[in-house]
Amino acid sequence: MPKCNNRFSLKALAAAVSATVALGVVALPTLSHADETACSPFTPLIKGQEDLVYVWTLGVEGIGDGSDKLVTVDVRPGSKTFGKVINSLSVGGRGEAHHMGFSDDRRYMWAGALDSNKMFVFDIGTDPSKPKLVRTITDLVEKTGYVGPHTFYALPGRMMIQALSNAKDHGGVTGIAVYSNDGKFISKHDMPTTKVGGVQGDGYGYDIGINPQKNVLLTSSFTGWNNYMMDLGKMVKDPDAMKHFGNTMAMWNLKTMEPMKVFDVPGAPLEIRWSLKKGDNWAVTATALTSQLYVIKQDKNGEWQSHDVATIGNPADIPLPVDISITADGKGLWVNTFMDGMTRYWDFHDPMHPKEVFKEKIGSQVNMVSQSFDGKRVYYTTSLLGNWDKKGKDDEQFLKMYKWNGKKLSHVFTIDFYKEKLGRAHHMKFQALNLSKLKPLAAAESQDLDSLKLALTEPKGK
Amino acid sequence: MKVIRALRWLSMASVLSSLSPVVRADTPVNLPIPLGLPPLVIPASNPLTQEKIDLGRRLFMDRRLSHNNTMSCGMCHVPEQGFTSHELGAAIGMEGRSHRRNSPTMFNVGYQRSLFLEGREPHLEDQIWGPLLTKNEMDMPAIGYVVEKVRQLPEYKGMFEAAFNGPVTAERIGQAIASYERTLVSGNSRFDRWYYGGEKNALNATEQRGFQVFMGKGRCVACHSIGEKSALFTDHKFHNTGLGWERTMFPERTTYRVQLAPNVFVDVNAQHLKSFEPPMPDVGRYEVTFNPKDSWAYKTPILRNVELTSPYMHDGSLRTLEEVVDFYDKGGIDNPEKSPLIVRLNLTPDEKSALVAFLKSLTGDNVAALVRDARLAPENLPIPDHDPSDTFMSQVNARRP
Repeated sequence: MPKCNNRFSLKALAAAVSATVALGVVALPTLSHADETACSPFTPLIKGQEDLVYVWTLGVEGIGDGSDKLVTVDVRPGSKTFGKVINSLSVGGRGEAHHMGFSDDRRYMWAGALDSNKMFVFDIGTDPSKPKLVRTITDLVEKTGYVGPHTFYALPGRMMIQALSNAKDHGGVTGIAVYSNDGKFISKHDMPTTKVGGVQGDGYGYDIGINPQKNVLLTSSFTGWNNYMMDLGKMVKDPDAMKHFGNTMAMWNLKTMEPMKVFDVPGAPLEIRWSLKKGDNWAVTATALTSQLYVIKQDKNGEWQSHDVATIGNPADIPLPVDISITADGKGLWVNTFMDGMTRYWDFHDPMHPKEVFKEKIGSQVNMVSQSFDGKRVYYTTSLLGNWDKKGKDDEQFLKMYKWNGKKLSHVFTIDFYKEKLGRAHHMKFQALNLSKLKPLAAAESQDLDSLKLALTEPKGK
Repeated sequence: MKVIRALRWLSMASVLSSLSPVVRADTPVNLPIPLGLPPLVIPASNPLTQEKIDLGRRLFMDRRLSHNNTMSCGMCHVPEQGFTSHELGAAIGMEGRSHRRNSPTMFNVGYQRSLFLEGREPHLEDQIWGPLLTKNEMDMPAIGYVVEKVRQLPEYKGMFEAAFNGPVTAERIGQAIASYERTLVSGNSRFDRWYYGGEKNALNATEQRGFQVFMGKGRCVACHSIGEKSALFTDHKFHNTGLGWERTMFPERTTYRVQLAPNVFVDVNAQHLKSFEPPMPDVGRYEVTFNPKDSWAYKTPILRNVELTSPYMHDGSLRTLEEVVDFYDKGGIDNPEKSPLIVRLNLTPDEKSALVAFLKSLTGDNVAALVRDARLAPENLPIPDHDPSDTFMSQVNARRP
């Protein structure tokens, strides 16, 4: 088994930054976390046309081989196989495949399974069109006691992993694990369970978003294994289950990995997206249960504050906002609502007063939305969680691609994941066949980057 | 105090045994019985020994006893949550598959005369094979698969030999787990000290009034029996309260009251949930006996530690003791096979609150010690690199060219 690439170093990043500046590519946004499907600031980005879309797919008993798999789709315009599945790599078992994240050099993809707690590392650099499974990490629970590896977020030479649950009671109290690029456990960091900044931490976790310029890490909160593995209808009818969702977000000092402030954000705040616009100092999230948009923003005193800025839908109708995707200029936000299968475009010119300006039904259910960096192409998949997806005829499973001209979506292709005997289509990541020209985004402009990188590289935590 | 001392001794022995799996074989354990509990019957075929208890505790808490290494007995019977789960009405198992029923508490399970809520299993030693092999619990593929997996796990090396003077077998796995479960006795509650110990002030006036309701107007004692020298608060029988009947015959409501966040509730139209799993029918004791008279009858639970074992009823549909008292005050739910013992009570608010106060006096004095003892089992052990049946086959193939 080949050793995973661990060659990303401070020197390499510095060289990349220098090269970027030398080439005159100075119009980089200040922050990174670009929603070229929510990458880390330290991961090179595809700012032009993506060549491939990877879909981390849940195996379904009775569908094909029934196994979780990484599906590769060709999206090169003009290609003979455009809009077709060109590769499918089964990893064995149904472990609740969920999210993925690139390594800091984009040559490896980490993909997690929320039930089996396995973390799969694929080589997507040697031949991006044919990913190869090079490592399966099985010691997350053993090393941390955490369950449900959810968000994978690259640091220099490291992978930060936000978990969802724990092995003691399968509840929502959990934490963040840090692994080296070659799959060795480094540290663990419990989510706050005490009062921080006057607000009680609930210990729950979901997403990670780093703002390197501000030296902050923002986290959100969902629920534990007991709930995310349960049939959605059964859960909604169970009063005890519904009491166990996260209601907080936390701002951490990234260098020290200490929580600085906990925010009340009731109703399960999920995906975190920082605005990429230069000078912006805010992030946005959507609450799954209460159907609100929240903005976390610095006030004039530099203090981080949370703001309930908009209602996505009537919570009693359970619209269930799930994935969101921010435009590179921070002026727009895609919001998917799972239950009605709608995608919604919100005008974010004024983040404190966003407005929904467009909506369209994508399918009977829709979860993930990923837009290209230029915002011209938008991709959708359907699966939320294996047991939260709808049953029967409403259980559509697909990858759909659209073009977006700022006013309307134009359908380009659909791949029916059941017809193709693949399974439930979940997280998407883009890839380029030629990685040599890709550059990491704006972490380069951090004034304190060297010390930040050093801090991130030093082991911390328990 | 005897119980506490005994548990301390058990805990110390457990620590020692975790340092060195083999202390010495066949160390007999005479489990002290706390005030208020009857003698515990230990089968002659499975005498209680420290080695078996230590082994059983480890097996009980080991998530690797499920097919995908995620579910142990202790994941549904969470020690800190009254050896049940406070987070779920009806449990979920392997890959999140739905269960029809609430996880029953393990407190005093050694006194049960039948296992599972419909009583399908007579023997504690055999009970474990239900959850181990059931698809919506731990989903192990076969008995031999479990045996092989345990045999191959290095953390069990020598433990079966120490406990049984022999290797891993299916029978010994059941005996070890049953041995540990029998140690989960919990008594000497404030009620016990008042009723059996003669401590006049062990219960306050409200709790004593609640006891009078329990014994009289509330009719609770008709099923939750109390003896002259001890009390298990169960008649070991099966009764139809109407709850199971309603859940199966009229499972759907038009709306559901749903909590979205602390103090945020909405009424959700059932139409929004039609695309999800329908409620699972459950006919209770009838599923064992096929006697229509047993339809929707479930075992009377032991009430000891009841304040720690929410949610309540066979499906976990009632969240608080107040809701339970209200349910019985209304006489349950009428249906053709409803138990004649369950009738409308017309309790006053004061009687209801006194009854709840009394129920909360049934908490044993050793709960924290039992939780600590459970957590002596090593946690989060490495999961196997290879499938146990593959390993078995390769070993067989190596021996048989």
